[in-house]
Amino acid sequence: MRALLSVLALLFAIAVSGGAAKAGLVTDLSQHQVSIRSNFTGTEILIFGAIEADSAAKPGQSTDVAIVVSGPRRDETVRKKERVAGVWINYNSVTFASVPGFYAVASTRPFETIASERVRAIEQIGAHHLTFGKLVATSIEGTRIPLDVEEAREFTDALIRRKREQGLFHEAPEGVAFLSNTLFRTSIEIPANVPVGLYTAKVYLIRDGNVIDAISTPLFIDKSGMERIIFRLAHREPLLYGIFAVMLATFAGWTAALIYRE
Amino acid sequence: MQIYLPIAELSLNIFLLLGLGGAVGFLSGLFGVGGGFLMTPLLIFIGIPPAVAVATQSNQIVASSISGVLAHWKRQTVDFKMGLVLLVGGILGSVGGVYLFKYLREIGQVDLLISFSYIAFLGIIGTLMLVESVRAIQAARSGKSLPGRRPGQHSWVHGLPFKMRFRRSRLYISAIPPFLIGAGVGTLVAIMGVGGGFIMVPAMIYLLKMPTNVVIGTSLFQIIFVTGLVTVLHSVENQTVDVMLALLLLIGGVVGAQYGARFGANMRGEHLRALLGLLVLLVCARLGFDMVATPQDLFSLAPQGAN
Repeated sequence: MRALLSVLALLFAIAVSGGAAKAGLVTDLSQHQVSIRSNFTGTEILIFGAIEADSAAKPGQSTDVAIVVSGPRRDETVRKKERVAGVWINYNSVTFASVPGFYAVASTRPFETIASERVRAIEQIGAHHLTFGKLVATSIEGTRIPLDVEEAREFTDALIRRKREQGLFHEAPEGVAFLSNTLFRTSIEIPANVPVGLYTAKVYLIRDGNVIDAISTPLFIDKSGMERIIFRLAHREPLLYGIFAVMLATFAGWTAALIYRE
Repeated sequence: MQIYLPIAELSLNIFLLLGLGGAVGFLSGLFGVGGGFLMTPLLIFIGIPPAVAVATQSNQIVASSISGVLAHWKRQTVDFKMGLVLLVGGILGSVGGVYLFKYLREIGQVDLLISFSYIAFLGIIGTLMLVESVRAIQAARSGKSLPGRRPGQHSWVHGLPFKMRFRRSRLYISAIPPFLIGAGVGTLVAIMGVGGGFIMVPAMIYLLKMPTNVVIGTSLFQIIFVTGLVTVLHSVENQTVDVMLALLLLIGGVVGAQYGARFGANMRGEHLRALLGLLVLLVCARLGFDMVATPQDLFSLAPQGAN
């Protein structure tokens, strides 16, 4: 309902500002802030917008919209298992310096049809065009080892595969729907295991394979209420948190003994 | 109904967690064991990161041991002096264990350590329990009684220095063996997320020759402080204690234990021990299978915070 109201408000804004000569996009999100509480099981963010009338397509031109939502970057380590004496153990590992904690991309048509490889690589449209910063390979003994191109690709593919399995990387070609010639919308699934932090939702307007406009909108995801207090305390005051956990357990154990006293 | 666990950072069904706590609590009440050695592998099976499972489990054991020790305290079946010697060892062992855990977590081998420790200890304890109880069942069938404990018997344990008098246990022995037992068990607490009662109790009976009636209370007394310390250390070094998870398991566990204990009162000791032995071997086999079976994906992502 709230999403619908925002859409209406946006449409109204577009109608009022109709006289403006600037070509491009107007976009918004259904929520700019996501709070992770104890009942959080994931959420859906609605992203919508309009292509301003002045930049309407001439006959024969293709118009596409691509939307990329990405979360805070951090380092990630991928480990490869090898069989040693019959047992599978973590062997060599590769650490990627800068991996988005969340990455979702949606577009009006399949990625390869909306823009050239080069354009998609520059704008990082599609998980395989993401750059993950410096790769450092470590052997099981903890020493740095060289990484050839083939192995680097193998580990990078594994990173993307595991992130997809966790629901943290998501690609939806044709996930953006045009509601009219100028209006479009998509919904992005945010799973329960998302990292907290500042996200950006970037909407690209692509005409005949060229990006002619792009708008970034911030999205803030944070734990709130009890979950936030617990998480913060555990990371900022771990000693206090540990003592608190033991006290809580002591109290709970004592109470249980009182309740079930013979 | 789903609940979001702030440290494990995932959303699980609240009834699954309560039920798990209840089921393990039932078994622990039934068999008179802490249940940590069953709970930690189960938590890992349902998707809790191993490091969080181990640390959170230590926290839960604090609570279950406190409710257990109070009854023993009233009956005066806690040997505090013996408990303190075991505790001194336990503190050193658990500090070492937490640092070993942290180091292995950083190099990505902590899962291997947890699995190996479980397979080794569950395998040994399960086999011993099964063999002992089957013998007892056979003896009971043929009407013979097994030779009991001979308290006056001396072994190499009695030749060691630093002798101390433990009044409540009616023992005059060296402080070294209880210290070492405490240290060994402390290490296991830090690595495996168990209370360690399943090692300490047989060690106290068979190695230290303590009277059976003070063994449980004394081990619980030591377990409270060692698991409490391990909880704080894991929190400081690894930030892996999830109080929300601990609380849910605890509620299920407390209720389950009461019913388990009532149910167990109607069963014969050796039959219970045989069942427990089988259960322990089953968990051991499952963990062993997971180690040798080819994983679906050879690549894994290191959990956050490990770097």
